[in-house]
Amino acid sequence: MDWTSLLPAGALAPPSDGLLALAAVLVLGALGGELIARLSRLPRVAGYTLAGWLVVLFGQPVAVPLAGGVRLVVDLALALVLFELGCQLRLRWLLRNPALLATSLLEAVLAAAAVYAALRAFGLGAELAASCAVLAMPASAAVAGSVADEWRADGQVTLRMKHLTALNTLYAVVAIVLLKGWLLANGARPDWLMAMRELVLALASALMLAALLAAAVALVASRLDLRQQGAMLLLLGLVLLALGLSRWLQASALLVPLLAGILLRNSTERPWVWPRHFGSAGGLLVLLLFVIVGASWSPALLAGGFAAGALLIAVRGLAKTAVVTLLSRWSHLSWRQGAALGVSLLPLSATPLVLVSELLRVEPQLGAQLLPVLLSAVFVVELLGPLAVQLALRWAGELPEGDSR
Amino acid sequence: MSLERFSESRPLTLGVELELQIVNTQDYDLSPQAADLLRLLQGVKLPGEVKPEMTRSMIELSTDVCSSHAEVLAQLREIRDALVGAARRLEIGLCGGGTHPFQQWKHQRIYDAPRFHHLSGLYGYLAQQFTIFGQHVHIGCPGGDAALQLLHGMSRFIPHAIALAASSPFVQGADTGFDSARLNSVFAFPLSGRAPFVETWDDFGVFFDKMARTGVIASMKDFYWDIRPKPEYGTIEVRVLDTPLTVEKAAALAAYLQCLGRWLRVERPFRAHEDDYLVYTFNRFQACRFGVRGEVVDPGSGERMSLRDSILKSFEAIELHAMELQAEDAIRLLRTELLGDGNDAGWLRQRQAEEPLLNELVHQQTQRWAGGG
Repeated sequence: MDWTSLLPAGALAPPSDGLLALAAVLVLGALGGELIARLSRLPRVAGYTLAGWLVVLFGQPVAVPLAGGVRLVVDLALALVLFELGCQLRLRWLLRNPALLATSLLEAVLAAAAVYAALRAFGLGAELAASCAVLAMPASAAVAGSVADEWRADGQVTLRMKHLTALNTLYAVVAIVLLKGWLLANGARPDWLMAMRELVLALASALMLAALLAAAVALVASRLDLRQQGAMLLLLGLVLLALGLSRWLQASALLVPLLAGILLRNSTERPWVWPRHFGSAGGLLVLLLFVIVGASWSPALLAGGFAAGALLIAVRGLAKTAVVTLLSRWSHLSWRQGAALGVSLLPLSATPLVLVSELLRVEPQLGAQLLPVLLSAVFVVELLGPLAVQLALRWAGELPEGDSR
Repeated sequence: MSLERFSESRPLTLGVELELQIVNTQDYDLSPQAADLLRLLQGVKLPGEVKPEMTRSMIELSTDVCSSHAEVLAQLREIRDALVGAARRLEIGLCGGGTHPFQQWKHQRIYDAPRFHHLSGLYGYLAQQFTIFGQHVHIGCPGGDAALQLLHGMSRFIPHAIALAASSPFVQGADTGFDSARLNSVFAFPLSGRAPFVETWDDFGVFFDKMARTGVIASMKDFYWDIRPKPEYGTIEVRVLDTPLTVEKAAALAAYLQCLGRWLRVERPFRAHEDDYLVYTFNRFQACRFGVRGEVVDPGSGERMSLRDSILKSFEAIELHAMELQAEDAIRLLRTELLGDGNDAGWLRQRQAEEPLLNELVHQQTQRWAGGG
């Protein structure tokens, strides 16, 4: 007798692919992070990234431009990370220590210029090189936040790493809007007036949504203790809502949470206290974020862009480190702290994936050439980056003795 | 190593040391950034000295030798302003208070210097738990014998000093019920408490040699007494004060001790005796636990009264000396506070009743320290 006939129809058919894939990603990611934490002194996020690599080796890579559920997870996770980062940005500090603001502007602009020049010399076209230069501008909010939190890093380098990362993310979003204007001109004289109007519109809509989100969070915070799980879930819901509205209004998914955090931090002196990554729900999203980024390469992409990607990372790292180190004394850091701060800006992770997805929705034909270079660059630095942050913070003396997590 | 000679100093001169908290401006937890602050102050001309302390979230400032309350206050203000200016450029906060309300001692990091690593190795977690912040006041003495006389006379007013200065009600996130919980951490050290009752520097030398022979101590630094002689400066050092929330209060407390010193020295109102110490730990506990609401026993008359009344009585006793030393402003400030919040612990509790978030309380402490709020 065929006993399987006793089972309800369809019971032995595999469940929907999405669920299995998600389960596999979660188990792999959690295991990877735990293994890394147990066996080595490396940051946990390195384990999540390795899990992403396994997904590519035994499954298939994540498609870029990001779409569907993957895009939602990345947008939401990054929104949480950027919101947290924005909540640590003190605008008054940039006024009190103008050298810090100058450092921020120069490291972002000069690194982008250096990447552009290097890629041009390497033989890439102007549009391609410019796109890569802008996409390589931001450091990684997710890596900076995760590594610093995991090891309880504290000090000037940690604080400034977060400030510079928040700011260069901001610059990159602005630069992307201008880049789009330039690309749309297709070699003709770009309509800068039009591009500026786009920029003002983008900033205004993002600022409006950010102000709404910040006001809602402040309202919740005045009524509920943000350290409680219930209040956290409410916050998570608010961020998700803001994200939905920003898609509807075509505002930047990166800008809204980042600006909301900045508004919240700088509109009141009162300290904001909440668990990192919005507690366990947010932690899950951040894990998924790293696995997804880790799964965004493929052998074919590497074959097409590895050399240019590696060159991009090297030039970008050198430029950022050189600028930050040279300006360190002026901004009241020691040389050693300056160098450490420069190195801590090496990571390049989820932010450019979101930016490139936005870019390719406007200029799809750029993808074939752009993606191999960009995704190779992300691949090259995705394990190196967290390690660089960890080493930099240890070298600056900002990790606890014995590096206890 | 035998006891050094007691250097003479001008009687009743003052020196003040304050241990400060360095906090971040995100959640106002302690932040290990002493080295960064010190680097910014390099080459800045200041009176006194600013130097590192046991853990990297503390910094110690001290005045030069001063002769009056006004001079102490001016120097403290100048150093405070320089420190606050440097802290602003680093986006960190500075504040007074004998304890940090919610820091976790196991997260504290030992400052990178041989002496601190040695102490950390010797005392283990006590060293990290010693993340407490005090004010030390040096009072100049013309010789060793005079220093010991002043020390034992001053001992009767240790509870008064503790109660007035108490600013450490919160520890590890909880209200301890004590006004000065900081001193409970000091008691954990083996050589804390009171100095032995000897009245001449020669006799003190005999005691010191005996202790040194046992190997328990190597120098005066190893005694963590409430008041200890400091032969190299020619002073006695009063060590029971919590760091106040403002430099004005710190200068006033120093002036109060100076006036008491002058009163004891000029009027000799009582003769110090070993039996004075029978009630010492009881009175001291009352002051730590209840602040100015504590009840103390007068070692001479056996009379019981509230510390508040006893302190007011001492203000009356030293009135002329306060005039002589031009410290009336200081005593006025202490009296106003005594009759208001009582002490800084009272202020902290009052604020915390309105604002349960301890992070915000520390934020208000940083504002108060900077001269606002």
